[in-house]
Amino acid sequence: MAADWLTHRGVKSAKKSVNLSGEFLARFLLALLVIGTPLWIWAARRGETAVTVHALMPEKGGFLPDTLTAAVGVPLELNLISDDVMHGFAVGQTGWPAVDVKPGQMTEVTLTFAEPGTYTYYCTRWCGPNHWRMRGTIEVTGAEEREAPPASPPLYVELELDIDAPHELDILLKTPPSAARGAELDITLPSEFLSRDVYLTQTPFEVWQALRLASETAALTDEDVWDLVAAAWHSQTTDEQIQRGQTLYNQNCAACHGSGGGGDGVFGQAFDQASDFTDSQTMLGASTAVFDGKIRRGGMGTGMPYWGTIFTDEEIDALIAYLWTFQFPMDNE
Amino acid sequence: MKQQRLWLLFIVAIFGVAFAPLPLGTAVPTSRTVRLEASSFEFSPAVVAVNPGDQVTIELAATDVMHGLYLDGYDLEITAEPGQTAVLTFTADKTGTFRFRCSVTCGALHPFMIGKLKVGPNLLLWRSVALSLLAVLFFISREPLFVNREPLSVVRKPNAEYEIRNTEHGIRNTEHP
Amino acid sequence: MKRSDLTRIPVVKALLVNRWPQFILRIVALAGFVVAILAGLLGTPVGSRNLSIVFVWIAWWALLILAAVPLFGRGWCTVCPIPMAGEWLQNGALLGPRKRETGDQRSETSSNLQSLVSSLRLRPWPKRFRNIWLQNGGFLLLALFSAVVLTQPMVTAVILAAFLFLAVGAALIFERRAFCRYLCPVGGFIGLYSQVAPLEVRVRDTAVCAAHTDKTCYTGNENGYGCPWGVFPGGLIKNTYCGACLECLRTCPHDNIAIQIRPVGADLTVARGRKLDEAFKAFIMLGSAVVYSAVMLGPWGWLKTTAYSVGSLAWLGYALAFLLLILGALPGLFYLATWAGTAQRGNRRALRQRFTANAYALVPLGLMAWIAFSLSFVFANISYLWPVMSDPFGWGWDLFGTAALNWTPYLSRVVPALQTLVLVGGLAWAAGTARKIAAEKRGGTAVPVIIYCFFITVGLLWLLIG
Repeated sequence: MAADWLTHRGVKSAKKSVNLSGEFLARFLLALLVIGTPLWIWAARRGETAVTVHALMPEKGGFLPDTLTAAVGVPLELNLISDDVMHGFAVGQTGWPAVDVKPGQMTEVTLTFAEPGTYTYYCTRWCGPNHWRMRGTIEVTGAEEREAPPASPPLYVELELDIDAPHELDILLKTPPSAARGAELDITLPSEFLSRDVYLTQTPFEVWQALRLASETAALTDEDVWDLVAAAWHSQTTDEQIQRGQTLYNQNCAACHGSGGGGDGVFGQAFDQASDFTDSQTMLGASTAVFDGKIRRGGMGTGMPYWGTIFTDEEIDALIAYLWTFQFPMDNE
Repeated sequence: MKQQRLWLLFIVAIFGVAFAPLPLGTAVPTSRTVRLEASSFEFSPAVVAVNPGDQVTIELAATDVMHGLYLDGYDLEITAEPGQTAVLTFTADKTGTFRFRCSVTCGALHPFMIGKLKVGPNLLLWRSVALSLLAVLFFISREPLFVNREPLSVVRKPNAEYEIRNTEHGIRNTEHP
Repeated sequence: MKRSDLTRIPVVKALLVNRWPQFILRIVALAGFVVAILAGLLGTPVGSRNLSIVFVWIAWWALLILAAVPLFGRGWCTVCPIPMAGEWLQNGALLGPRKRETGDQRSETSSNLQSLVSSLRLRPWPKRFRNIWLQNGGFLLLALFSAVVLTQPMVTAVILAAFLFLAVGAALIFERRAFCRYLCPVGGFIGLYSQVAPLEVRVRDTAVCAAHTDKTCYTGNENGYGCPWGVFPGGLIKNTYCGACLECLRTCPHDNIAIQIRPVGADLTVARGRKLDEAFKAFIMLGSAVVYSAVMLGPWGWLKTTAYSVGSLAWLGYALAFLLLILGALPGLFYLATWAGTAQRGNRRALRQRFTANAYALVPLGLMAWIAFSLSFVFANISYLWPVMSDPFGWGWDLFGTAALNWTPYLSRVVPALQTLVLVGGLAWAAGTARKIAAEKRGGTAVPVIIYCFFITVGLLWLLIG
């Protein structure tokens, strides 16, 4: 035993110097890893030039930051990342495709603006009842400030319409009016009923009343006249327009108004009650101009968002064309 | 001999319980549609029962944020956004109980958002309960049911044991024979 | 039964005695630990995309409960980086003991660090806390907040950092690895379950230890430190408090330390040294496995939300129910089972001793319950690991080209069958253990305890594969 002990000691003292350098190597390695790793992380982060935009549920802050600046022609690099659930990102009225902003995953986008102005970016994935509040603005400054052409005021302003006025009718249609049946009646409508102006400014009920009084419809039933109205409305829209409108509707409106237009979407109850587009009493007393106004301006406190800074005129037209199909269904479907 | 027979009996029973074919019910397959509402962090209804062979259509409606559904065992997946109901149709050709999970990160508890699809009886559960019962019976059959019995075996004692106490000088050990 | 001694294989012994393999593993683990803390503090708050959550609660947990604990017992403690800083301060050296001061001759390598070390007046751990009640409490406390801890990177980071600070703090006040031995909430259950591991550190011949007056395994020498866990290897009869740190292998001058492969569960039927705190650890672990299976893997959304809404009234109710189940109902019913299975029902002391002894049958049951729970949790979510490896902070990195890989559950068809095998196997194991424990003393039957285990198993089966 004692001999054992002695050998151990002997070996040990001979190794003393080796042991010491081992200790310093160990400390060096430890320092390298424990200090080096954070340093490496820090260094890797330093070169980052892109602006990081965090996306959170609107109740938690929405887009952070929600104001950005850019210059015309200078690419704006954005790193988009969600801190909670799936969000989306798109810039209104540009037609650029929306991108998903995934939880904990960076999405890189580069935006280059050709025109100065104020752009709105918005969330494109439903992220709660307040999803539509999740918006931000990009101020784009030009090389030389050009005088922007004065935007024409929305139709409802031009017409001095009160888009918040109630427009319920006292009528009840048993079957929805059909453009196809209207066409089958083989009646040539006076051209004034087929004008764009009528579609934009008149309510279907007003047109129905006028038609009822016209001599061409004397032999027709009230329902037949409604079919004529449907045909008149149909003549102002195209299938592509309606299809585009449907896509926009499903993405942006169905969560509240319901995919069937019945005002029964999952968030329909979260607000005052989303409008029911299948209800003929309210729909037939409203004009395209009223819808246009409501979509652009929003519901002013009812929970209906304003889309004026987001949708292009064509998109709003397409959307309204689709809304009318809840009253005047497409027969070929 | 008797002991051996008992062992054999148990082994036969284990295999029987584990692998014996069992009737899966005689319900005629139909098609059925289930509307599943997905909210953080719950599917409603959370448990869906169908019969084997049914043509199942799941309408997944997200009611707050985007959710998904991944069906274990069938390895099918759909995602749904509020306002845009997703539809998944499949034939329930595998029997048993399968978990379905949210597949789109929907918040902190997302990994735990789970529901169950029951296709016919959960034979795995019944078989495993029966196996547990067999295991219990096996051990109980070798155990006296009444407590006034002699010890079954002599417990091995460690060769020698030490107790250690911290004292001023370090340690002190006491030997136990 | 025959045990085979791994240290008889020269390569294995050399690898274990040499400090470098262990040290390398520990600093790699420490770097991972530091990155996990940084990720939790600086990275994305989305848990499934943050390294801290995915590495700690999916990868590390899988490794720990599915491999390290059942195969190596305290294997994790061997490489755990948490005590490193504290030990460095205590010892004045990182890798191994330096030249010791003998007599009046001061070491020439004496540094500032060493003078700091010698100025520390380390106290022995207070007597009344020389048990695992603090660890029991610590684990329960973490378990109550588990829905938050497991999902919020920031919380995980703070807890990891707190472990580190507590370990350093404990090392500056108390002797040896006080944190590991008496405070670490993880170490408590690793110790309990290491009793079933097929690996053990023991002495070859206790007579050698008895004759060895220096007891270098406890006091240390120039080859290694005295047992950091405050355990005398010569007295080891169970794995529970042996930290598998390998120091005694280095310090024993008589080559008397063995690392042996042994039958699984060998410590459970050792009658000596059973304690109530360990018995309660068994209830806490078994109960948490049941609660976690219900809360996290069950179909009840309200339960998940309640467990998550820490501080709310509903959560207080949940916490109360959790504690009542684990500290009241489970041990209470088990006490009844013990009472029914003993002849000396009037003798309270004997009854309590039997209760404590019987609880060791719940060790394999609890471990298997945790394995079954973890199987479904881990295989469903391990695919989060690939993107997180490439993008640990959610900053858009792609280190290994795996950042865009999607989540997908693995083996979803096989896992339920595996869980069945694990749970039924655990029940059989527990029942066999219960029989051996009951047979230790006159006048007892394991039947009620076996039935208790049966009901727990059926409950778990229903929760996990029902």
